[in-house]
Parts: sequence; structure tokens; C-alpha cells
Amino acid sequence: MAVLELPDWMALAPALILAGTALVLFLIDSIEPHSTNRTLLSGTAVAGSLSSLAVAVWFTVAGVGATGIENYGVIDIMNGQFVVDQLALYFMIIIAVVTALVTVASYDYLQDHTYQAEYYSLVVLAATGMSMMAASNSLVTIFIALELTSLPSYALVAILKDNRGSVEAGLKYFLIGALSSAIFVYGVSLVYGATGSLQLTRIATVLESGDGAVGEMGGLLGLGILMLIGGVAFKTASVPFHFWAPEAYEGAPAPISAFLSSASKAAGFVLAFRVFTTAFPLEATTGIIGVDWTLVFAILAIVTMTLGNFAAATQENVKRMLAYSSIGHAGYVLIGLAALSADGGDLVMGAAMMHLLVYGFMNTGAFLFVGLAEYWGVGRTFEDYNGLAERAPFACGAMAVFMFSLAGVPPFSGFWSKYLLYTELINAAADNTVLLVLAAALVINSALSLYYYSRLVKALWIEEPLLDRDRLAQPTGLYAAVIAAAVMTVVLLPAFGPVADAALEAAAAVVA
Amino acid sequence: MAATATGPFGFAPAIAVFPLVAFVITLVFGRHLPKKGALPGILATAGSLVVSVVMFAAVAGGGEHHTTLYEWTSGAATSETMVEGIEFTFGILIDPLSALMLVIVSLVALLVHVFSLGYMNAEGETGLRRYYAELGLFTFSMLAFVFADNLLMAFMFFELVGLCSYLLIGFWFRTESAPSAAKKAFLVTRFGDYFFLIGVVAIAATFGTVGFAGEESFVTAAETAIDDGTTLFGFDAETWVTITGLLVLGGVLGKSAQFPFHTWLPDAMEGPTTVSALIHAATMVAAGVYLVARMFGYYALSPTALAIIAFVGGFTALFAATMAVVKDDIKQVLAYSTISQYGYMMLGLGVGGYVAGVFHLMNHAFFKALLFLGAGAVIILMHHEQDMWEMGGLKDKAPVTYYTFLAGALALAGIVPFSGFWSKDEVLFDALAVGLEQPVILAAYAMGLLAVFFTGFYTFRMVFLTFHGEPRSAAAEDPHSVGWAVKVPLLALGTLATVAGFANLAPVAELLHADITFLEFWLDGKYGAVEGLTYHAYHETVAFEEGVIGSETTTMLLSAGLSLGLALAGAFTAHTLYNVPEPSRHTTKLGGAYRVLKSNYYQDEYQVWLAEGLTLPLARAADRFDQTVIDGVVNGTSTISLFGSDRVKRIQTGIVTNYAALLVGGFIGLLLVLGYLGGWFA
Amino acid sequence: MTVDVQYYVLLSMAVFCIGLFGVLTRRNALLFLMSVELMLNAANINLIAFAFYHGNLTGQLFALFTMALAAAEVAVGLGIILVLYRNFRDVDVTVPTTMRW
Repeated sequence: MAVLELPDWMALAPALILAGTALVLFLIDSIEPHSTNRTLLSGTAVAGSLSSLAVAVWFTVAGVGATGIENYGVIDIMNGQFVVDQLALYFMIIIAVVTALVTVASYDYLQDHTYQAEYYSLVVLAATGMSMMAASNSLVTIFIALELTSLPSYALVAILKDNRGSVEAGLKYFLIGALSSAIFVYGVSLVYGATGSLQLTRIATVLESGDGAVGEMGGLLGLGILMLIGGVAFKTASVPFHFWAPEAYEGAPAPISAFLSSASKAAGFVLAFRVFTTAFPLEATTGIIGVDWTLVFAILAIVTMTLGNFAAATQENVKRMLAYSSIGHAGYVLIGLAALSADGGDLVMGAAMMHLLVYGFMNTGAFLFVGLAEYWGVGRTFEDYNGLAERAPFACGAMAVFMFSLAGVPPFSGFWSKYLLYTELINAAADNTVLLVLAAALVINSALSLYYYSRLVKALWIEEPLLDRDRLAQPTGLYAAVIAAAVMTVVLLPAFGPVADAALEAAAAVVA
Repeated sequence: MAATATGPFGFAPAIAVFPLVAFVITLVFGRHLPKKGALPGILATAGSLVVSVVMFAAVAGGGEHHTTLYEWTSGAATSETMVEGIEFTFGILIDPLSALMLVIVSLVALLVHVFSLGYMNAEGETGLRRYYAELGLFTFSMLAFVFADNLLMAFMFFELVGLCSYLLIGFWFRTESAPSAAKKAFLVTRFGDYFFLIGVVAIAATFGTVGFAGEESFVTAAETAIDDGTTLFGFDAETWVTITGLLVLGGVLGKSAQFPFHTWLPDAMEGPTTVSALIHAATMVAAGVYLVARMFGYYALSPTALAIIAFVGGFTALFAATMAVVKDDIKQVLAYSTISQYGYMMLGLGVGGYVAGVFHLMNHAFFKALLFLGAGAVIILMHHEQDMWEMGGLKDKAPVTYYTFLAGALALAGIVPFSGFWSKDEVLFDALAVGLEQPVILAAYAMGLLAVFFTGFYTFRMVFLTFHGEPRSAAAEDPHSVGWAVKVPLLALGTLATVAGFANLAPVAELLHADITFLEFWLDGKYGAVEGLTYHAYHETVAFEEGVIGSETTTMLLSAGLSLGLALAGAFTAHTLYNVPEPSRHTTKLGGAYRVLKSNYYQDEYQVWLAEGLTLPLARAADRFDQTVIDGVVNGTSTISLFGSDRVKRIQTGIVTNYAALLVGGFIGLLLVLGYLGGWFA
Repeated sequence: MTVDVQYYVLLSMAVFCIGLFGVLTRRNALLFLMSVELMLNAANINLIAFAFYHGNLTGQLFALFTMALAAAEVAVGLGIILVLYRNFRDVDVTVPTTMRW
């Protein structure tokens, strides 16, 4: 590695920084248990996630893991157990950004909360897991990173121990999560059985060479792949592994909902991108299992986006609406995997990754706004939100930006990423009926989504409040996070060129 | 700006830019300017006139100018004739035709501006800033339209001209009739422009170019296509050229107020008389005929289109002339005379008489501007009374107005040696020559010839009623005085109306064998011209045969004698009926025809019926369809979506065991689909 | 004497299905958790059998990781079940249904 001649393992720095931050938080907790020094705890977490972000951005700019430049290249660590390339760095950036926003917002949200240090260390630990997931290159490390993400998440969802909603959400999340990870591990065992390896590139080699008994274990391998897809679907909250999501997002503290629905989902997707592009090369795998695995993703994408958007349309609870919308967006991103079999599939995947980044800002922001509303104690339903704009125009303006961006209304970034996704999909769909159906589903669902997103904007800005409100407080941290997310949602627009390039290069890196 | 041209042509854009600047200045600062913004307009149009004259001189010196100023978009589409790519540009084309027209337009615009000082300022009108701003914009649009080098640019400024007419006709927007008239003018011409737009698109799609001149023009492309016998959009090339030409003609008929789109023009008299002068003489109405002349090479390729132009022209000439006979309002008479005169121009162009048509366009610009300004002067004299039956005896009280008006009237009626005679005679001669071989054209000629009689009649009826006899009202007894701003334009135009005919004394040239048909030389490119856009080139393209009675000279003399005789007969009839101290209406002599004429052949009635009896029920039906079927589908979709939403979200029962079951069920479903497709169970 | 690998797979699948059956039918959170453990162990059987079959240690190693993570999962799970009991006075997983639709 050429940059400053750092050792190879330093390429994992964004994840390592997060791990270190978590340890520092534990240290603080052990020195001063039950500390309520929110500034210190939150500050540490924010500093950790921001430095992780800074390092990841620096690496990206410096060309760490970039292919096609002399002396640079994908960095293998621990015999290929980890790999740092543009894809990994791109997702590390998304995860670090969301973590930073969430930790900033938590500063106010956790006022009067008992488990401050635990909360932040769990958040940062989960972020570490996600960051590791982006770089994992073996089913072993993937599974460990997956669990490192999941276990703190379960605890975080249930962290409001006296709140029945939070506990119920935690329970459901945990149970479905345990079931899913069992399925995932079983899938891993089957893939191992078929190929004799757990390292992704080696699996691909075996599949391509047809060594050993792989050819006779087509069914076993196929079932294993399907089970892996199940594990991924759980992380990304895709149908039919989505059942935990509405409850977990609704019951969890709002910053955690934001964290799970943005960062955790992104981590799930990087996992999918990595595993399915690296380990299961399309032609070889299709030859063995007899069917094109992108078909599964196509089915999942259509069902997921349809279910998510339809279920969101008639929700009364804002947070639950956002939860379902988050499922719908998972469906959009799944298109990136579904289109891999077609020419130009890497471009579709790049567009899907762009959407994930934009989504990281707008969805986090939306959930944080809900957190702000919970902080104000205005209630949970659309009606409770009526006329909030009178009292909090800035925050409500930001929320309108999020909503329109989520719906894909120009000129916000959400429009551009969705538009790119759509055009690339149409380009790739030249002779592919399945993809055309996908494109149609994308359009129909986007149209439907505008209905419920604009419903919220209408409630905020047009409806009269049900009862008079006093002045609303303006918590610094939450406000800062919401406004920052809104600014990014808008500002990403002129900066879309570099983002698009980064995403496309990252996609090209794994697909090629 | 790609003003690469050296010499005087580099200034060409200034012709249009001057009035535009005046428009902006007047709009922004008009309130603070002396004369409410008249001065910028006068200076700008004077500047345009000077530059136009320079252009004219440059063309006379053998130059021509064709340049692209700005390309605003280009496309990669392949046209029907396999031309790849198309560019849409703004460009300037200065050739004999446009140079001539530029001079006419800027001259008339200048005189109208000056006259406005007397007509609008002196009469204490309000809203003058708006008036002069719109006048500036109007002039700008027309000038830019005139030097446009391609059809699309022409269309854009054509539309702008229409917009400005709308604004100016509705200048007195607080009255009830002016806004209605403005709307009518806008809608009727827009109806025609709709076809024009389709024509532009069709031409662009067919030939991949919209240029007027040069090798790259659609005219050349069409000629090549016809020569090669290409099939265009399933038609043979000539038919397709006819179709597209007629589509463009839709816009022409609307703007030049030809039958059946003429109904807007009489109503447009609701605007200030100065505006009427500008609209009728040099801008709006002239734009239509000018467009035909501009792309004459295209029409020349299609005898069918030409015959239709000629026939519509001849018919309109007669049709409008008969209606003018019974009008009482001095401006109404002039309005119908305009329709009629533009009919002559269309007739002339339609029979291939390019020179004759343009000649009449020029002469008409002068004498019609004169007549309208004269009418404006009369209206000032009469304290804003327009009914001719309230006038009379103004001859002695306003000699300048009377004599200049008389000059215009003689020109309009076509009495030798005034300008109108020469050009109208040439139009009719060309029509006769072609008509001797083509029965349809002969019918058009006959109508045109008959219209000469009516023209003579209504013109002098107007003159006699207005100026002769005894005053028939208090206002006519004691007319208001008029100032220099009124008299100067009248004198200038009066002179032009008298002598402009000498530009092309075709019959005299024929008799004396002298080379004095200057306009023909001019348009034929004797001095300077763009290749292909000359009278000769057109003449060779036009497929009409020409016949003669005896010899060409005999025919010419016969034609001239006929039209002069009829004009004099008309004038004489008017003299006997109306040049008496106490004229009476003589309407009973017309019997039932009077009511038909007075009602303008019920043209408005049937068009209103078309709108109310046909379009309105159709619109209602469409509305009902929209309200029930379309809205029903839309509402149904949303109802179904929301209902579906309600069902879908019920899957989420809240019981985690159900989730696990559904999850496993979904997984097994996927497994079955995949296993079936992958043949795992075989 | 060696046993063919497919019998191990059959065994593990049987265990997996038993676990799955438990997950679907048991309402007690602890039994639910135990069923999930069964499923995880089914995977372990597979991993070890395949490690033997392929003659490398990767699978065995991964089985160790799986056990460790299963333990961690149980720890978190028990914590959640504890707060569940505190809030709902029951460990029946079908009781908490405040959030649905």
C-alpha cells in the first residue's frame, strides 16, 4: 500500500476506530459507572464516528483499494478474510455518517436516561460490526460481523426497559433475528458442504472450476444460497424476513430506528453485494444450481417494495409509516442485485448504492425528526403532527425536504438517485422482461409513496393544530442532526457527480 | 454574436434591436420620460429605418447577407429525407425581399409613432407608457420576423406579432368590446397558427432543416425530393409538399385575415386607430402574405397549393369588398378593404405573380397606412365620432387631411396613375394570363375583377360621405384642429401613395419598351440577391401555363382597361348616389341582400355556432368523460390502493409466532419456485 | 468405518426441522430460544461433518465460532426475556401485541 506506507491492516482503520471508541466508552463507564455526563459520552461517540468518517473519506480520496492504479489495488487482510476496496470504503462512509448523525441526535434524546454509556457503546459496537461487514470477505467474518451488529441492536431496541413498546419491539426483533441467523448459519454450512470453503473468492474458484463434488450438490448449494439470501433479507428488512421491522422501528427509541433503518440496512446490502458478486459468479453458479439467483432478488424486490409502500399508505402512526417506507426502499435497492444478470447491471448496482447513500441522509433525518417530536411529546399520529410548522418551521422544513426526497420529487437528491436507478434499469432491461416488470413496479410504488409522504407534509404545514401548543424547545443536538441531514439531502445534489462516480467505481470493482 | 459579416450587414441585427431597446426603456422608465415614452420609440424606429435603408442600399449595391447568429439547440434525429441532425438557430437573411420589407415596416412604424403624438398624447390618453412599450415590442417582433432566415424563427416572431396585436387591440381594456375583440383576434389567428406549427414540425421532420435560403434550405430539399420522386411519409413528394404548404398556409390565412379566418379583423378596429394602421399596413396582416412571399419557392413547387392560394385570395377580395359597401363606420370600411386588398395579394402570389404580389403589398402598406392615419385624423376632427353619417363637408375645413386621404382613396380604388392601380393591374393581368389556361384561376380572376368595381364604389362612398356634402352633425360643423404630428405623416404617406406605383410601370414598359420595371429587376436579383430566391427562379418553378388574348400587349391593355373602367364605374356610381348635399342611405335598393351584407354573410354567426353549438357540447362530453370515466378510474385506483393497503398491513398481526410462520412460509415458497425452476426435485 | 456424509446432512436437517417446528409452535420465549439453539446446532453438525468430508478444518473452526456467538445470543436474549417478564408478567411470546398492522 502506497499511502504513507502504512501496514495493510491499517486499511481497516475506519472499523478499528469505531471498535476503539467502543472500548473507550466502556472504559469511561467502568471508571464512572452510571455516568450521566452526556457531553463526554456523546462527544466521544461523535468524535469516534467522525474520525472513522474522516479516515474513510481520506482513504477513498487517496485511492486506497482502488483498482487500475499502479501500486494500488484491493487490499487483502488475514489471508483474504477481510478485503478493503472501494465498495468497502463507500459503505464505511455511509455507516460512519449515519452513526455520527445518530449519536449527535441522541445527546438530547437520552436526557434523563439511565444507561447513557451502555447506549453509546452499544451503538458504536453495532457500527463497528457494520463497518467490518463492509470489509468482510469470508462467510466466517461475515457471520461474526453480522452478529456483532445484531446483538447490540437487539439490546438497543429494548433499551427503554420500562417502555412496553420498546421491550416488545426488542423481543420481536430478537426472536426473528435469532431465527434468521440460524437459517443463515445453516446456509453457510450447506455452502461449505458444497464447496469446501468459506472464503468468498475461493468459493468462486471452486464453483468456476467445478472441482470435487460441487456439480452433484447443486440442490444443496442452491438451498444454501437461498438461506444466505434469507440472512441478508433479514438485515435489509426485505420480505419475507421483514416482519420484525415495523415493530422494531416503531418501538425503538427514534435515533435507534434511524440507525437500524439506515446504517444496518446499508450493512445488509453491502453484505449482499459482496457475497453475491464475489462468491457466486452468475454463470458458474447457474450452471450448477440450474437457476439464476438474481431471479430471487427480482421477486424479493417486487414483493418488498409493493408490500412496504402499500402497508405504509394507510398508517396513522408516523414512525410506523416511516418503518414501512423503509421496507419499500429496501425493495428499490434490491433492484441493484436483481439486475446483475443483465448487461449494464453494474450501473444499476451503482445507482442502487447511490440511493443507499442518499437514503442514509434522508431516512435518518426523517426518523430523527420523529425523535424530535417524541422529545417534544407531541404524540405519534399524523393528526398529532398537525400544524407543527407554526412552532418549528426549520425542523418542519427539513422534514418536508426528507419527505419529498424520499418520495423522489425533484430537485432533491432522492429524485436523482431514484431517477438514475430507473434509467439504468431501463437501459439494462433492453431484452429482459423481468427487469421491465421491476421498472414498472418501481414507478407504481414511487407514485403511491408520494401519497403518504405528502400526507405528512400536509399535516405539518397545512393542517390546523388540534390543540394549542406552547413554544417548542429547540434541543441543540437533535436540531443540528436534523438540519445537517436536510442540508446534506439538498447539497448532495450539486455534489452528485463525485458521489455517482464513487458509487459506480465501487460497483464496477466488485462486479468486474 | 457571430457577426462575421463585414460592411454594412454587420449592423443588420440593430434593426430589430432598436425597437426592443425602446420597449425596455419605455417599460422601465416610461413614466418619467417626456411624451410618456414616445421619444424612445420614435428614435428607435428612425434608427431602424436608417439601418434598413442602408441595408437596402447595400443590396442595391449587389450585396446579400445570410448568417446564423445563435444556435439554441440541435438534435441528432434523422429526417424523412435521410438528413442527419437538425439545428434550430436564429439567423438573419437580407435579400431584396426582406430589405424592401424592412424599409416599409420601419417607415410605417416610424410614421405611426409620430402620428401617435397627435392621436394619443394630444388627446390625453392614459396608459401611454404601456402603449408605446407595446408598440416597440410589436415593431421589434415584425422586423425580426421579416429578416428571419428560417421557418421556426419566423414562427416564433409570428407568434410574438400575434401577441402584440392582442395587447394593442385590447389597449382600452376597460371597455367591454376591446378585450373581447382582442381575444377574438388572438383565438382566431391562433387557430390558424396551430396548423402553421404542425406545418413547421412536418417540414422539419421531413427535410431536417427549416432554413429559407441556400443549399441547406427546405425549399431546395423539397425540390430535390420532387425531382428524385421520393416518397415522403407515404405520399409522393409533391403531394406532401402541398400538404405541408397548406398547413403553413393555415397560419397565413389567420394572420392575413383571409376567408374563413377574416372575422377577427373588423373587430380589431376596437384598438386605437394608429394601431390599426400598423396592423393593417405593415405588421400583423402583412406578416401572413410576407410569409408566402418568403417561402414562395416552396409553394411554387405545388400547383395545387398555388391554385388554392389564388382562389382563396380572389374569393376573399370579392367577398370582403361586398361587405365593405354597407358599412357606416369609417374604420369598418377600411377594415374590409384591407381583407379585400390582401385577397388581391394572395391572388397575385397564387398565380405565380411574385412581383405583382409583393408590389401590391408595398403599395398597400403605404396607402392603407395613409388611409388609416387619415381616418384617425378624421376621428380627431370629429371628436371621436366614427359614423360616416354624422360627418360630411370636412373637405374645406381640413384640406390636408382631405387631399392626402383622397390620394389614398384613389390608390385604393385603383385609379390611374395612383400606386394602387399599377399593382392591382399587375395582379389581375398575371391572373388573367394564367386564367386563360386554368379555369379555376379564371374564376379567381373574375372575382378579383368584379371586386374592383365594389372597391371603387365603397372607397368613394366613404370619401363622399366623410368629406363632401353638408355637415350632418355639430361635430362636423366645428371640427377639432389637428397638429403637425398628424399632418407630417399624412403628407409623407400621401406622396408615397401617389408615386410608389412608378417603381414598376409594367404596362408602360411594355408599350414603350423601356426598362423601367425597377421592382421586377430588384426582386429578380439584378442588383443583389440570394441564389434561388429570385423572381426568375420562382417563375421557372411555377408550373402554370400562361395564355394571351391576341398578343401580350393587347392582353395587358385589355386587362388594365377593364380594371380601370370598373374602378371608375364604381367611383361614378358612388358619386351619383352619395356626392350630393344630403345623401341618403339607398339601402332599400339592395333589398334582402342588405341584411346579408350588413350581417357580414353571417360569418360571425356560423363561427359562434361552431363554437357554441358544436365545440361546447363536444367539450361538455369530454368533460363528462373526464369527470366520470377518467376520474372514476383514478379514484378507483386510489380506493383500491388504500383498500389493498389496509389488507396488506393486516399481515402484520403483532404476534411473533405468526411472523415466524409467515417467514418460513415465504421462504418455502421461494424454495419451491427456485427448486422448480432449477430442477432440484427432479 | 466411516459414515457417508449424506447421513450427517440428513441428521442435521432433521434437527433443523425439529428446531423450526419448535419455533413455530412454542409460545414460551425460553423454548423458542432453545429451538433456535437446536437449529444452530444442526448447522454445527453439518459444518463438522463437511469439514471431515473435505478434509480441512475450516468448518470445525467455524462451528466453534458459532457456539460462541450462540452463547452471546442467548445472553442478550435472556436479558430481553427478563425485561419482557417485567413488563408483561409473562414469557409467552404471543402476549406482546401492542404494535400491529
